[in-house]
Amino acid sequence: MKLRSWTVGGAALFLAGCAQLSLGARFLGGSIDSLGRSTRPPAQKLEDPVRPEARLAALWVGHATVLVQMDDKFILTDPVFTHTVGNVSARLVEPGLDPQNLPQLDAVLISHLHFDHLSLGSLDMLQDKPKALFVPEGGLVYVPSSNVPPIELSTWEVYEKDGLRITATPVEHVGFRYGGDVSWMTKSFTGYVVEYNGQTLYFGGDTAHSEWMFHATGRRFPRIDLALLPIAPIHPREFMCKTHVDPAEALDLFHDLGARYMMAIHYDTFFNSLDDFGEAPRTLRTLLPARGLTEQDVAILQQGEQRVFVHK
Amino acid sequence: MKLATLAVAAASALSISSFSAKVHAADETVRDIHPRLRLPWLILQALPSPGMAIGERGVHGTMSWQVTPLLYSWAMDKRLSPWRTFVVEPLVRQSGSVELFLSPEYLGRGQAEYNWGFRAGVRAYFPITERGDGLSWSLGASAIWFLDEPGASFDAGIYTLFGSLGFLVSVSPWLSDNLVQTSLRVRFF
Repeated sequence: MKLRSWTVGGAALFLAGCAQLSLGARFLGGSIDSLGRSTRPPAQKLEDPVRPEARLAALWVGHATVLVQMDDKFILTDPVFTHTVGNVSARLVEPGLDPQNLPQLDAVLISHLHFDHLSLGSLDMLQDKPKALFVPEGGLVYVPSSNVPPIELSTWEVYEKDGLRITATPVEHVGFRYGGDVSWMTKSFTGYVVEYNGQTLYFGGDTAHSEWMFHATGRRFPRIDLALLPIAPIHPREFMCKTHVDPAEALDLFHDLGARYMMAIHYDTFFNSLDDFGEAPRTLRTLLPARGLTEQDVAILQQGEQRVFVHK
Repeated sequence: MKLATLAVAAASALSISSFSAKVHAADETVRDIHPRLRLPWLILQALPSPGMAIGERGVHGTMSWQVTPLLYSWAMDKRLSPWRTFVVEPLVRQSGSVELFLSPEYLGRGQAEYNWGFRAGVRAYFPITERGDGLSWSLGASAIWFLDEPGASFDAGIYTLFGSLGFLVSVSPWLSDNLVQTSLRVRFF
C-alpha cells in the first residue's frame, strides 16, 4: 500500500516536473525565436508629443511606458526604450516615441524592479529630462546614483511639489528583480495616483486582481479621470494569475477604481508570455459590449498612438 | 484565508478613515534593505566556474569557487550603505565596486598534491552598458598558492546577464609554471 502511494506520488511529481520543464522550454524557445526576428515599426512616431489643446492626454510608447500630459505637466511611466529587456526578452515593436523627443518630465514613475519596468539603460537615455524619479519602497538599491536622486514611496505615502501630488497605492505583485532576491525584496512594487490641477491619473504598473486594494484606492480617489491598466500577460494563466490581470480582470479593476477612462497597457511589446501577438487587445475588445463599454471608455491603442481624453 | 482577506480589508478601511497625508521631501525616508543569506544562495555558490589552466606542465581543466567576505560599492545611491558581506546583489557589484575575494581552485593535474590551489585578492568591477546589468568588466590582483609555492596573479574579466556569466583571464607571471588561466565565470549573487 505504502509502495503504491510512493509510486503514485513519484509519478505525479515526475509529471509536474515535466510540465514545468516543458513550460520553461516553451518560454526559452519563444524568447530565442523572438531575438532572431526583426522588430515591427510602431503605428506612429510623433516628433512633438506635446498637445496644447489637451488637459489630459496619453501616448502609449509601448509595454508599460506611457507619456501622460496633465495640462502643463508631463509624466512618464516605467520608461523602457531598449531593444531587449534583461538581455534575453526581445522587443517585438519599436518604441512609439524616441527618447530625444520627450519633453521635460515632471515625474518619472517606476512601478517595480523587473527588467521590463526598471530599465537602467532607458533611464540613461532620458538624460537630464526627468525632474523627479519615483521608485517603490526598497527600490533605491537598484537605481545607481544619478543626477536625479530617486524618491522612494511606500504604500499611501505622498509626495507633493508645485501642485503635483503623487501617492503610492497598493497593487498585488512581486518586488524582486533577479529571483535570488525574492526573500528580502518583498515590498518593492506599487501603483501610483497623480493629481494635478483637478485631474487624477492612476497607473497600475503590473498587478494581479485584488478587489480590496482597488476598492480602497477608488474610495480614496473617487474622481480618477484615467486609469492605465495592464491587460497581459495572459498565458499560462495558472502561473500568471498570481501576478498579472488578464483583460477581463483589468475591466474588473477599472470598475473597482471607478475611473472615467481606462487605457490598456502592458501587451504586444516584448516577448514575456505565451500569448499570441494581438490576443490581449482582441480579447479586451470582445469583452467591452457585455460590460456596457465602448472604445471611447477603454482606449486600446497601438504603439505610438496618442489620445486626448480631456480637451481644454 | 477568507478571514485574513477580511482582516486586511478592515485594516485598509481603517487606514482610509484615519488618512492623513504624509508629505516628505526628496532626500528623506529611505529603506536600506540588505540581502539575506539563504539556503538557495549557499547551494548556488557550490556551483563551480569551469576553466582551463595553461602552463609549462601542460593544459588542464580547472574548477573554481568564490566568496566575497567584503564589498564596497561606489555606484549605489549615496543614502544607502555601500558595504556588503557574502551575499551581493548583481547590480551592486556590477555597477561599480571593489571586493575582497577568496577562491579555492581545483586543477586537474592528476597528482593529488598538485590539484588544489587557493587565491585571495581584490577585484574592481566597472559598468559598460545598463549600469553593469548588460555588460561590465573587472580588473583584479591576488596572492595565490599553487603547487606548494606562493605567487601573485592579475586578472581581467568581462561579464553579461547581470554579472551571472563572464569570462576571466588571469596570469601568474612569477610562478615557476608561468600559469595562465581562463575561466567561464558562473555566479549568482
